[in-house]
Amino acid sequence: MIDSFLLVFLLVGLPYVAVLGCIAGSIWRFRSARFSYSALSSQFLEDKSLVLGSLPWHLGIFVVLAGHAVAFLIPRVWAGLVSNPGFLWTVEAIGLAASVLALIGLTTLLVRRLTSGRVQAVTTPIDLTVLALLLAQVVLGILVAVQHSFGAAWATGTVSPYLWSLATLRPNPALVSDLPPLVQAHMALAWVLVLLIPFSRLVHIFSIPIAYLWRAPQLVVWANPRRFQGVEAAVLVPARRYFLRGVAAISVGGALLAAGTAGTFGRFFFGPRPSEKEQTKLDQEKLTRLRQTQREKELTLERARQRYIKIAKVKDLDTKKGRYFIDYEMRAALAFLGDDGLPLFISAKCTHLGCTVASDLDAQGRVLCPCHVSYFDIKTGMPNAGAPAKDPLPHIAWVLMDAKGDVVMRRGADGRTHGDLAPDQAALCDVYIAKREESV
Amino acid sequence: MTSALRVFVFLSIAVPGYAHHEFQTFVQAHSGRPVNCAMCHTSADGPEGTGPGQIGSLDELERERLNRARAAFDPSPVVDSPILNDFGNLIVARLGKRRILELRSNPAVLATELGNESDLDRDGIPDAREYLEGTHPLMRHHGAPLSLFAHELRANAFHVVMLGLATIITLYGLISILRGFALKMQAAANAEDH
Amino acid sequence: MGTTLEPRSKRVARFVRERFPIEKLDAQSMIVKKEVPLHKMSWAYYMGGLALFFLLVQIVTGLLLLFYYQPTVSDAHASVATISEHISGGAWIRNLHAWSASAMILTVIVHLFTTFAMKAFAAPRELTWVSGMSLALLVFAFGFTGYLLPWNQIAVNATKVGLQSVEAIGQYLPGELARWPIYVRETIQGEPSVGQATLSRFFAIHVIVLPLLTVGALGVHLLQVQIHGMSRGVDALKVKTEKFFPFFVIKDLSVWGVAFFVVAVVAMCLPFDAFLPYPLLEPYNPLGSTPDGIKPEWYFFFVYYPLELLPYWAVIAGSTVVGGALFLAPWIFARTTRRTLTVLAVAGALYFVVITLFGHAIYEALKGGTP
Repeated sequence: MIDSFLLVFLLVGLPYVAVLGCIAGSIWRFRSARFSYSALSSQFLEDKSLVLGSLPWHLGIFVVLAGHAVAFLIPRVWAGLVSNPGFLWTVEAIGLAASVLALIGLTTLLVRRLTSGRVQAVTTPIDLTVLALLLAQVVLGILVAVQHSFGAAWATGTVSPYLWSLATLRPNPALVSDLPPLVQAHMALAWVLVLLIPFSRLVHIFSIPIAYLWRAPQLVVWANPRRFQGVEAAVLVPARRYFLRGVAAISVGGALLAAGTAGTFGRFFFGPRPSEKEQTKLDQEKLTRLRQTQREKELTLERARQRYIKIAKVKDLDTKKGRYFIDYEMRAALAFLGDDGLPLFISAKCTHLGCTVASDLDAQGRVLCPCHVSYFDIKTGMPNAGAPAKDPLPHIAWVLMDAKGDVVMRRGADGRTHGDLAPDQAALCDVYIAKREESV
Repeated sequence: MTSALRVFVFLSIAVPGYAHHEFQTFVQAHSGRPVNCAMCHTSADGPEGTGPGQIGSLDELERERLNRARAAFDPSPVVDSPILNDFGNLIVARLGKRRILELRSNPAVLATELGNESDLDRDGIPDAREYLEGTHPLMRHHGAPLSLFAHELRANAFHVVMLGLATIITLYGLISILRGFALKMQAAANAEDH
Repeated sequence: MGTTLEPRSKRVARFVRERFPIEKLDAQSMIVKKEVPLHKMSWAYYMGGLALFFLLVQIVTGLLLLFYYQPTVSDAHASVATISEHISGGAWIRNLHAWSASAMILTVIVHLFTTFAMKAFAAPRELTWVSGMSLALLVFAFGFTGYLLPWNQIAVNATKVGLQSVEAIGQYLPGELARWPIYVRETIQGEPSVGQATLSRFFAIHVIVLPLLTVGALGVHLLQVQIHGMSRGVDALKVKTEKFFPFFVIKDLSVWGVAFFVVAVVAMCLPFDAFLPYPLLEPYNPLGSTPDGIKPEWYFFFVYYPLELLPYWAVIAGSTVVGGALFLAPWIFARTTRRTLTVLAVAGALYFVVITLFGHAIYEALKGGTP
């Protein structure tokens, strides 16, 4: 627990000390040593890991600082924007990605400072201090982002007004005194870094060489008598500029792509997170499908086990509207009541390409296959002339059983009926389909 | 009450097997798109039968809900029939059952009376228009293609702009790198010549 | 013909050596020194690269869909619905897969017609052509197998109709042979009717088998293109050229960028399913009737409508002749002029466009109305 005096110093004293120190130091440095008013380049000493470190670091920290600055400069607009969850996610994702990029770059730079002999020669203690502090600051920032996420949103009500209170000389530390220690440490370290700017290589922030990417190449020709090396360099320098520009543009483009799609695509791998109502609906649909699969399996099993399968009571059949059932070969079939008062069973699998025909009879006593418009007369099974289907729909054999379960009448697939029953008696019976070896 | 009872009897007995097919026939002819009972009903095969969402499969509680919904002859705030989907229930709630029966002889008016406020699937096309166009009023990804495209383009304007910028900038970056490689190769070729 | 005196084994060896010249198998000749002709048909050189781009989109989006798709009869439809409705960005990915598939097939078809017209198959590019034709077949196989996977009404019923038409060959075969097409169909299906076995194997074919075959064929195709360069494409004796690297590659990349933007925006704003009536999008119900309007995807119309309108044997004979001629084009049309080839290609393209756009109207005009 940090005691309150120290806290007030860190939140109020330190900022003013840092800013004043920064301004005074900058003036002093600019007047005393104008040409050192930038960072000392070490590119001649070692350039491979410099590019691998410097580029990601500067890109990453630029994006991160821009994010911090926007939240400070336009807090109200920003608060409105981050109230949209898609935007908030996008911003968080970009910020985290950029800070990780910065961390990678910074680590590379630190390793280079520590391991490359030639760079060691020009490395001062303050260089190393600044690198280490920056590393600590980035790590703290990432920790804040992970531990206390959505900083883009909560900072608008705490850190932004606090900074404004400092800027307007009416400091109000109460706004941030209750924030987690991690966040306060991140803020305190930021002020220390501000203080260090004029006394270290950080001073180059005030002379950002952003024009470098587009200015005409400054060719460094070594004092070397062999001319072709100069020619080679004349090509290689613009080539390197192309690579830098390319990597920078691809990074920015990638960030924009991420920003543009994060709202929709960002949580693709997060899985479906339906609301309770949607989950209920999904589960219901799933259950329906499972029941349907179960029903199909039951039908298959029933057909394997039973010699007879009940289709309907004869009196429930209709002359105009067929009733679908599944025959012993697991194909769709239709049950009608014939004009003779006896059942009429016919296959519903179109003989053209196997679609299932519709169940309603038209005025001429025909069913329609909707796929390629064939009409089948259910009495004969024949398709209409000129229909795509050429073969008739086959009739299906049935047996009638009375209430006691005795077979009283049967009709074969060939249409021949065995047994004799008055229609009113038949209406009392149940109609079954029979396994092939049983049918006549 | 007696007239209501008569309509009820008429409803439940005289037209049992059909989910008011006049509306279906009208929509198919008007839109040129095939349509089935699932536009308003729970089951694609209509309310009659024993399949899921059909009258034969209802349990005690659902049957009670059905009877309560069947009594909604006048417009009422909430109708929750188990054999109707959200759009079906909306129609009954807005117009009342009596008016729906009257409209069977003039199915086009159903859209006018529903009005353009309701858009249950929030795809930017009002339910009444989806009814006329024969697209599903409850499917977010189903609608007349052009209207859907216009609506989604407006809704996704941010993404579209970002995608466009990202494409242009990434392309610029890739091309820069290619040019860099080309220069390097040229340098290598020059060096070889010497 | 002096070559006919060579022994067969030597001729084969020489053919292979000329198609795969070892001295040219390096970056120097395949990339640095490659030149691309510049003329009024130069746009056609971008078609193959564009198809490759859409294939890459298919691979990426396909892999993403694999994270959630479940290839079982009971869950396939629900898992696709979950992707569309409940996965963040799922609808976009699924629509990208659908739109980019159509775009890929369209570019492949344009690529086929243009390369044919430009006589790009002439020696030594026979293998480019044959591998390209194989790729075209593979692309259609991708389309056919992928269509079934959502397991909705149109998917299953259209697949049934497609497979059933294999069986119709039986009517022209004598005796016991007449039953063979049935065995073939049931072998493809894996069971007597389209069901779980069919879904499983279509899934395996779509996701594993076809991609592997495609990688192989594509390897040969690209290697041949890079070794032998773009064909000259026109009859003019003197043709200006530009360097393949970097100028052509930069333009090619720009075309990819435009294609990416267009397909991404269309996929974001226009669901592919919106063009179908919704009853066809419901889960397949084996116990109900088949809904109206069962049709294959638009890229099969060129064989679907002839099957509907003409006698079956005519379609089979016609497609065998055309398919065989296309595959053997480098040898059949070895001495044909570009002018004649262009006429043939334009006729073919015209047929394809007309039958795809107006096939349904033609069908209605010829067969419509209740008999």
